[in-house]
Amino acid sequence: MSVLILAIAIILAVLSLTQKNTVPSVISFVMMMFLLGIYYITMDEKLLGLFQIFVYTGGIVVLTLFGVTVIGAKFPKYEIRPWAYAVVTIVVIGMIIVPFLLPIIPYEGKAIPLKDQVKIFTDFYAEIAIFMSVVAASVLYGSIRMLHTLKHGKE
Amino acid sequence: MVHFYIDAIAAIILFAVGLYGVTSKSDFLKILFSLEMLLNAVILLLASAAFNFGFTHGLAIAYVIIVIATLEAAAGVLIFILAYRITGKIIPDNLNKAVDDE
Repeated sequence: MSVLILAIAIILAVLSLTQKNTVPSVISFVMMMFLLGIYYITMDEKLLGLFQIFVYTGGIVVLTLFGVTVIGAKFPKYEIRPWAYAVVTIVVIGMIIVPFLLPIIPYEGKAIPLKDQVKIFTDFYAEIAIFMSVVAASVLYGSIRMLHTLKHGKE
Repeated sequence: MVHFYIDAIAAIILFAVGLYGVTSKSDFLKILFSLEMLLNAVILLLASAAFNFGFTHGLAIAYVIIVIATLEAAAGVLIFILAYRITGKIIPDNLNKAVDDE
């Protein structure tokens, strides 16, 4: 599994440098960083993995796309293929969910003892809760800012 | 231990790809991506060392590297937007000459 993730990440890295169009190159880069984040999570470095995903796919890539939009790059037009999008979405969501379910798998069919419940929560879910609250706060701030701009115009 | 070797090989390949991009690409954006790849190869190696040998100090260095990478990306995007405004291209070659002509 780890070899597969790393191999795909390296292929995506090469693709992001060899693509001629800017936007597919950025998307390859995003996927590479996302896979590396998933790999850190499976390696039990959960905080580092979440940092990787939030900082690279959330921060740097959005910044890059913003830059690309400012300089006026043309976004390629793709054919609409709903089934392909559905399959890709399911695969990506599955990849996100697997590391979340890994701590619970040893207890399958058994009740989780309270002590272990606390351990699982403090190991992983508390960190996710903190990050999700940061993300939610950013989204809230962005929404309020956007509403303010729409109401009062650009200052 | 085998796990560490796999990670180390992957990190070396990623570093090589990044180095190739930095030295041979002429597009600002791809140079920026290559720099990020170089930093990520180092982070991968540090995370693997922390996982396999308990080298947890490496994780602290990895977090610092991520912060530096963010700042570097912000500065890089700013530079390539300014370069585009001045020269009309996102190619860093002869940028100083274009600025002098301006």
